[in-house]
Amino acid sequence: MRRLAAVLSVVLVGYPLLIVPSTAVLALGAAAMVLCVLGILVATPVLVGGMVLALGEYTLALWLAGGPPRLAGAVLLGVVLVLLLETADFGRRAHRATIGPGLLVAQVRSWAVFAALTGTGALAASAGASVAGAAVRLPWAPAVAAAGVAVTLVAVALALAAHRLPPPD
Amino acid sequence: MNVRLTPLALSVVTVGAWGLVLGVLSGRAALVVSVLPLLLGLLRIGRTGASHAWSLSRSLSAPRVFEGERVTVTVAVSADEPVALLELFEPLPPTLRLVSGHNRGLFTLRPGRSVEWRYEVECVRRGRVSLGTVHARLWDRAGLEAAETTVRVPGHLRVYPRPLPLRRLPGPRRMQAFVGNYVAPSLGEGLEPGDIRAYVPGDRVRHVNWRASLRFRQLFVTQYHQERNADVVLMLDTLTEAGAAPSTTLDASIRAAAALVTGYLARKDRVGLIEYCGPFRWVRPSAGRAQHERLFEALLRADVMFSYVTQDVALVPPRVLPPQALVIAISPLIDPRFEKALVDLAARGFDLVVLSPSPIPLVRRAMRPSARADVACRLWALERRARADALQRLGITVVDWDPAEPLEAVLGGLSPSRRRGVAR
Repeated sequence: MRRLAAVLSVVLVGYPLLIVPSTAVLALGAAAMVLCVLGILVATPVLVGGMVLALGEYTLALWLAGGPPRLAGAVLLGVVLVLLLETADFGRRAHRATIGPGLLVAQVRSWAVFAALTGTGALAASAGASVAGAAVRLPWAPAVAAAGVAVTLVAVALALAAHRLPPPD
Repeated sequence: MNVRLTPLALSVVTVGAWGLVLGVLSGRAALVVSVLPLLLGLLRIGRTGASHAWSLSRSLSAPRVFEGERVTVTVAVSADEPVALLELFEPLPPTLRLVSGHNRGLFTLRPGRSVEWRYEVECVRRGRVSLGTVHARLWDRAGLEAAETTVRVPGHLRVYPRPLPLRRLPGPRRMQAFVGNYVAPSLGEGLEPGDIRAYVPGDRVRHVNWRASLRFRQLFVTQYHQERNADVVLMLDTLTEAGAAPSTTLDASIRAAAALVTGYLARKDRVGLIEYCGPFRWVRPSAGRAQHERLFEALLRADVMFSYVTQDVALVPPRVLPPQALVIAISPLIDPRFEKALVDLAARGFDLVVLSPSPIPLVRRAMRPSARADVACRLWALERRARADALQRLGITVVDWDPAEPLEAVLGGLSPSRRRGVAR
């Protein structure tokens, strides 16, 4: 499972280089790759650090490339982000443990179904947002976006607070 | 069983929030779109409940083993409802060492089907081992939330001390009245020829010595030595121990005691055990397989128990410590209370042998080598020699034994006649 996570981290770090193969993006990507590999082997917080860097690399690539948004690529990157976190975490749990029969197949099937559903949902949502954005021109669009993000984060925080928080790892 | 969010959920939120912030700051919609799968993934939280409809059972390949033997632990898990991901962890006590497999397992369960999980452990040290608690963690497929519980699955394993190889045993000076393997000085029924005397009416014809009868023209009969058994009492010093487990002086003493018990019982002797841990604990001398079981059970639970109590040997009843018994005391000779008990036994006229597993090599193995340790160990060896000399002056045979060496080498030449001359 750690190999799958490593492949996903290569995809995560390599995709921005396909957009803009520049030195700055490569340097950020290399740093992100190191952290991701360390995170896969050692601990999830290190992996999160690598993913944060990889998102910075992606932002830099988008900023350098300019042009229209590439929504399909963005959705693919998002699915890779989720799968990388989950596979790395599963790999850590499965390390030095007896794996029961049928577990890996069931797990991979679950991830495949989730990737297909989430990818489709995210594509539909982004397409809807594009259509709505073309039809309705909001004044102060950046402020509205920032407010939307803030509301989203608060909603997520409240939803998670409804559950019990995890003990320190 | 409480369901909790896992650190993975917080990681997902962190990455998602970071993506949203970057999206707003850079003004790129693609970034917001890229974190949508992360946020959609969080919708899975709370969809899976913690299933209680699963059960565990454990079986051991052998409930009673000797030190160094291996046991296969089989855990069977079955469920009435589907269980997405069940993680089981069985902590092992320090007396067991994992040899093959893992003591942690991840399983997915289908209704009505059971899954078996095996691992093999090596029993490092004697004792009663309890494999009691299995820690279980139920995960959802994504790993975003988990529920923890513990399951009591009683499993008891008895690890008996491994008897050291021992063919020749210290012979007793005095015999008992029952039939055994020792040739007694007294004459009677037996196999070993003793004396020849003139025939008297009532003697059995098969005992007639025809060669002597023909030479002296008079009937003579051969007399035979009786074959008798002996009472052997092992006195185990559990006042203190030195060294690191599983190679302490007590471990070595108990292995030696197990070897002696096995050897003497095989010779049809009556064997008893006195454990001196301040107060006395004992097993009365007896013979047979049941006694073997009793003695090994007593050795199984023998352990160092700190106590200020010092009981007198006179308190041990004669049926436990028969006056004619050969007493083999097994002690590292660290605690002066045990030495006092030895002197008391010698003064009461017991046939006494002290087998002393030396703590010095055991402690040295557990220490980092240094010049200071060398000097300390040499001083300690001198002190031990002085103590042994003091005991020998009182007529007590002291045999010093490095537990790394075979027990046979130190006990083999210990015949009753040579005992007085043995020094260390």
